[in-house]
Amino acid sequence: MADEEEDIPRPVGANQEDIDLTDETQDFRFLDKLTVNASGAASLPKRGQKDFESHDTKLQSDTLEASRQAMHNVLSWTRVHTEKSRILGMYHPESNMAYVEKVKTKHFENMGKAKGGKEWLLPEEALFLIERGSMDCRWPVNKSNGENEEELTIEDGAPMSLQAAYAAFIGFEGGVGGKLTLEMFTVYSGLKRAGYFVFRAGCWDDDRGTLQPLAHHQDPNKAGGYLSRFFTEIWRRISTHMYPIPKANLQFGPLVKPGLYRSYADVYRLLQIIPTHDRTAPPKFHLESDPNNPFRIHYDVYKSGTGKFRKAHRGPPDFRVAVINARETSLPTADQLNDLLATTPYDPASPQDQMYKKLKHGSRNVILAVVDNGIPSYIRFSDSDFSDIKLYERNGRIPRGKGGGRGRGGGRGRGRGRGR
Amino acid sequence: MASTAHQPSNSPVQSSDVADAGAKGVPKDNGKPNVPREKRPNYAQIHSRPLPIDVYPLPAFIPHNPLSIVRVAIALISQTLWPPISPLVIHEAYFSSQTLSIHVTDPQSVRALWEQGFWGKGSLSRSEPRWLDMEKRKRGLKAMQTSEEYTAQRRRERRQFKLERARLEREAIEEQRRAEARLAEASSLDATGNDAEPTTSDGVVQTEALISKVDAASMSEPEFVPADDDVTKETEEDLVAESSVEDGPFEIQNQEHLQLTMEEAFFLSYALGALKVERQGIHQSSSQLLRLFCASSTFSTLQSPQTLEEVLPRTPIFGNPIAPDNPFLLKYVVFHHFRSLGWVVRANIKFAVDFLLYNRGPAFSHAEFAVMVLPSYSHPYWSETTERREECKKKESRDWWWLHRVNRVQGLAHKSLMLVYVEVPPPWDKGGQSQDGKLDVGDILKRYKVREFVLGRWTPNRHRG
Repeated sequence: MADEEEDIPRPVGANQEDIDLTDETQDFRFLDKLTVNASGAASLPKRGQKDFESHDTKLQSDTLEASRQAMHNVLSWTRVHTEKSRILGMYHPESNMAYVEKVKTKHFENMGKAKGGKEWLLPEEALFLIERGSMDCRWPVNKSNGENEEELTIEDGAPMSLQAAYAAFIGFEGGVGGKLTLEMFTVYSGLKRAGYFVFRAGCWDDDRGTLQPLAHHQDPNKAGGYLSRFFTEIWRRISTHMYPIPKANLQFGPLVKPGLYRSYADVYRLLQIIPTHDRTAPPKFHLESDPNNPFRIHYDVYKSGTGKFRKAHRGPPDFRVAVINARETSLPTADQLNDLLATTPYDPASPQDQMYKKLKHGSRNVILAVVDNGIPSYIRFSDSDFSDIKLYERNGRIPRGKGGGRGRGGGRGRGRGRGR
Repeated sequence: MASTAHQPSNSPVQSSDVADAGAKGVPKDNGKPNVPREKRPNYAQIHSRPLPIDVYPLPAFIPHNPLSIVRVAIALISQTLWPPISPLVIHEAYFSSQTLSIHVTDPQSVRALWEQGFWGKGSLSRSEPRWLDMEKRKRGLKAMQTSEEYTAQRRRERRQFKLERARLEREAIEEQRRAEARLAEASSLDATGNDAEPTTSDGVVQTEALISKVDAASMSEPEFVPADDDVTKETEEDLVAESSVEDGPFEIQNQEHLQLTMEEAFFLSYALGALKVERQGIHQSSSQLLRLFCASSTFSTLQSPQTLEEVLPRTPIFGNPIAPDNPFLLKYVVFHHFRSLGWVVRANIKFAVDFLLYNRGPAFSHAEFAVMVLPSYSHPYWSETTERREECKKKESRDWWWLHRVNRVQGLAHKSLMLVYVEVPPPWDKGGQSQDGKLDVGDILKRYKVREFVLGRWTPNRHRG
C-alpha cells in the first residue's frame, strides 16, 4: 500500500504553479471566516483536513456540523436587489442582442457597447447578466395593437424567463462561424465569474483571423549603427559556422567521421540535419479558409487586477482563448495548430528568462478551452523553438562544481515528487 | 488522508542538507576526516563526455603567461603529426529479434555507453546497469549501495513513517474518545444543563494539541536525499575494479547486458559511428539497419504466427518498401533532432510518452520535457484522393481524452508535455528492386520536418493578476 501511494508524486511547496485548488477537498468552514471578517484585511483562511471515516467522537461530529452550518449561513444570506442597481433590458430580435437604456451598474465598465444612446449587450453578456440575477430582460411587445411606438417603454415588455433567455440567445446569431454556442457561453461565464474581463475577439465574425507578422526584432541592431552591425554579423558567421557534411557521410553514415574534433559543439553541429519549422520566416496559413474550422480564437481575456480598465481602449489581451467542443473535434493537426497560432501575435519570452521558462513560453501561444458537457479544461499551447536554444553550447560554458554536480539551482528543493 | 500535510516540513531539512553536501564537495586539502556520510560520486567527472566521442581542445592561451603559447604549439604539432582519432573505440552490439532491442554485452562498452551520454538500459536493472553490484552487495562482498537498494530503503522508511503516523492518529482519536466520555460523566453528575459549550471548546483545544503532536511526528520523518532515482552511490574506481574482481570467495559472473533501443542504436551507428551492429553475425550497414529497424517496428506477433527472424528474409535487402510514416522513422527523426541539440533523450513508456528530455542526463537533473510524437500529413500528396485523406485522418486523430490522460500524468510528475509533429513526406521507397535496395539515409531523414508545441494546463484561478 505504501508503495502505491509513494509512486504518486505529490506537489511540493517549491512549485506552487502546478497546484490546482479545485483539486482539493473543500472544508466549508472557511466560508464562515470569510463572512466574519469580510471588512478587515482579507486573508484566505487555511483549509482543513477532511476525514474520510467516522470515528464516533463528538469532536468529529461537531466539526462536521460546524461545516454544514457555515455552508448554510452563506447560502441563507439574504441577497437584495436594490432598485438602484436593477438593470432593465430589452431583447432585440433583429440583432439577437439586448439593449439597456440607463446604465447604472459597474458591469458596463467591462461589457456592452454604446450605440445610439443605448448600451447594447452581446448575447453572452445579456445571458450572463440575466443568469446572475442582475438584469431583468423583457420581450418586445407586439406593436400591432394600435398603440404608438413612442409610447412603448421597456417596462411594457413581457419579462423573459431564464429558460427563454438561454433559448433566445444561444445559437440564433447571424455570422458564419461566429455563432454563439453553449460551449462558448460556458467558457465566457466561467471566466467572468473567475474575475476576468472577457471580450469577443476581433475576428469573431470572420472565417479566420488575420496573420500576425513577426515582430521587428532586428531593431536594436539597426540602432547600434553600422559598425556594431558589422561585428555582430561577423560574430554570427564565426559562431554559427556550419561544416558542410560530405554527401557520402550523409548517405551511409557516420555523420561524424573518425577524426580530430576540438569541441563537442563542433560534433553537435555536424549532427544537425533534421529540418525544423522555420519560426523566423513570416507565418502563413497552411489550410484553405473554412467557416467550419473549429480552431479559431473566440475570446480576448484580460486580467482584472491591473489598474484602470477602459473597454474602449483595452489594448492587447493577456490571453487568447479558443473554445473547443471536446465531443465534436479531435486534437488539432499540425496544420490546424499552425493556422491558429498564426493568428496570435508574436510574443516571445523575455531574453532574461531561464531556459526552461523560455522554452515553455514559446514564441506564440493560445489557450484552448476544451469543453465537454459544460466542463471546460484549459490547455495552453505554445509554439516553442527548441532549435533556437543549443543546449550543448550552454553546457559547454557552465563550469561544474565537484559536489555532486547537480546542474542548475532550480533542480534542488524540488524533492522526490518528480519521478525521473 | 491528506498526504500533502507533512510535505513542506520535509523540504527545508532537505535543502540545507544539499547545501551542506555541496560545501563538503569543495576540494579542500586532504587529511580532514570530515566525511560522516557517504560521498556522492563525482558525476560531472564520470559523465564529462556527453557523447561516446573524444574531443581534443587546444590548451588555453594565457596572455600574461608566454609559456602557454608553447603548450598550444606543442599540442598543435603533435596533433598534426599523430592525429588522434575519435571515436577511439567502436563498440559492438547485436540485434536481438526476440526483444526487438540491440544488446551490448562487453562490460567495458556497457560502462562507456552509459557514462558517455546515458545510452540504453541494463537488462536486469532499472536503468543504469547495476546488477553485478546489487548481487555482490547481497552476498556481502560490497559495502556500497545501489540506487535500487536505496529506493527500497527509502520505501521501507516511508512505510514505517506512515504506520507511525497512523498509530499516532489512532491514539489521538482514542484519547479524544476517553476525554469525551469523562466529560459526559462529569456533566451527567453535574446536570447543570449548559455543558455543550465547554465540551466543544475543550475539544478544540485538545485537537490543537493532537494536531501539533502529529505534526511533530511528521517533522521527524526520515529525510531524503534529493531524488534522482537514477543516481547511484558509487565512485568510478569501484566500477573499474569490479570488472576484474577476484577478491571475493567466489566469482560472480555478470549476467547483465545493456539493451539499446532501435533509435539509440541507429543514432550511435549512423550518426556517431561509435557502434557496430551485427545481425546473425553479419555487420549491418546504415542502410541495412534502417530497413531492419523499420521492418521490426511494424512487426507484430499478434498478426503473424512466425517470429520476426522468419519474416525477415536472410538477404540484406528486404522486399517490402518502407512506408513514409513508419513508426521507427518518425520516432528516430525526433530522437535525432533532440540529440543533435544536446538533450539526453531516453525512451519512456513509464511516463506514458515516447521520450523524456534530460538536460545533461538523468544523474544531473530531472527530465523537464516529455515528448509525444505525432504524425502530420500536411504534404499535398496526402490530400490528393479521398481515400488517402480518410486514411490520414484516421492516423492523425487523437481525441481530447487521450491528450488529457497524457497531460495529467506529466502534470503530476512535474514535467511539461511536448507534442512533436513530424511532417510525413510522400512515399520515397521503391522497395528492394531499385539500386540494390540501398537507401540514402541522409536524404531520407532530411525529408522529414519536426515542429514542437509545448503544452501546459492553464488554471483561471492562477492568472487573474
